Amino acid sequence: MKSEPQLHPPQPSRRDFLKGAAAVATTLVAPGILLYKTGQAATGLNRQARWGLLIDTNALSEADVDACVTACQREHGWRVQDGSETDAQWVRKVTLEDRASGHRSFLPMMCQHCESPPCVDVCPTGASFKRADGIVLVNKHTCIGCRYCMMACPYKARSFIHENLKDQLAVAPRGKGTVESCTLCVHRIDRDGANAVPACAEAVNRGDSKAILFGDLNDPQSEISRRLRQLGGTRIRADLGLNPGVRYQGL
Amino acid sequence: MRIWISISRSIALLLLLGTMPAGMLSAADAAASGFGKIAIPKPPKPADAEHCVEPVAVMRRDHMKFLTHQRDATVIDGERNAKYSLVGCIDCHNPASASGEIIRYENPQHFCAECHAYASVKIDCFECHADRGLERQRQSKSDAAAWDRAGAGLSVTTLRRRLEAAE
Repeated sequence: MKSEPQLHPPQPSRRDFLKGAAAVATTLVAPGILLYKTGQAATGLNRQARWGLLIDTNALSEADVDACVTACQREHGWRVQDGSETDAQWVRKVTLEDRASGHRSFLPMMCQHCESPPCVDVCPTGASFKRADGIVLVNKHTCIGCRYCMMACPYKARSFIHENLKDQLAVAPRGKGTVESCTLCVHRIDRDGANAVPACAEAVNRGDSKAILFGDLNDPQSEISRRLRQLGGTRIRADLGLNPGVRYQGL
Repeated sequence: MRIWISISRSIALLLLLGTMPAGMLSAADAAASGFGKIAIPKPPKPADAEHCVEPVAVMRRDHMKFLTHQRDATVIDGERNAKYSLVGCIDCHNPASASGEIIRYENPQHFCAECHAYASVKIDCFECHADRGLERQRQSKSDAAAWDRAGAGLSVTTLRRRLEAAE
């Protein structure tokens, strides 16, 4: 009979035991020296929260929206290759023009982090998923690159990586054959919780004026909830009933 | 019958002679000439780290299990800055050298590549993940906020070490 693969490490030898004893002694002499990491205060996943954005288009100029796109590119290391339709596009600039008055407004359009995301419904492997805090992500470990989610998304928020990539950033692993989209800067949220500022918001917010406001839609006391209660917010394609977590003002 | 025995004896002798030079060569020569035993890789330890997150014997055997478990915990449950984070491995074992040289996974000297080549293991981690601690090298100490951002998921000790190295 074949023996089971050994899951546990071999028993420590007498020598290892003695070395361990020496290490313990050192810890007692100089506590803290042997800690391999002190650990940053990471808040991790908040299961009670539902993160969202409130985007005030009246406060956003065209240059501001361009700054959003650039900041996102810098944060996650994606860039427009040749302007073709297959390029990566985590966030794009959308221009709305009222023909009667000639008024133009510009808005950053990214994954809307729906409460009922169609991209999750259609994913055959479960790679497209909604985190407990409402952020819709692609688990690239299980994504097979079928692109059903790209077809299903009414916001055209996702893109597919066609080329081999190099020089990806540690916070945003991305590679050929997988789908990607806005993550709401999930690495910052996991670190800072409710105080997180996504890269796009960081690029346009100046002092107290927050053209892009990040916050917890579930918390009635949060600034985003208060501002929504006060001034309201538009859900894009509200007729679809997806209840996106990204809301707009001034549309 | 006797002829056959003598033929087989001479074949055996030839085989023996054929194997003798290999036996007489040193292990290094054997590795260099493409046959014989390949030397067991001994990747250098990070100069400024006391020890790994687990004993070496455990890491050798089980690092892939730790990483596979951790990847789901990170993606689904947002568990960053964890004990078994891949970023942590790379950050400690493959920082850019003092001269700024970056060792990539394609380079046989890369910490991960060295043993994987020996064990004939093909991984695709680095088709997506950063295989080097590059972006932290780019930051200057004055840009503390940017540094902090780039270091999301890194331990404070590691960041401090990088800061000192950048000076």
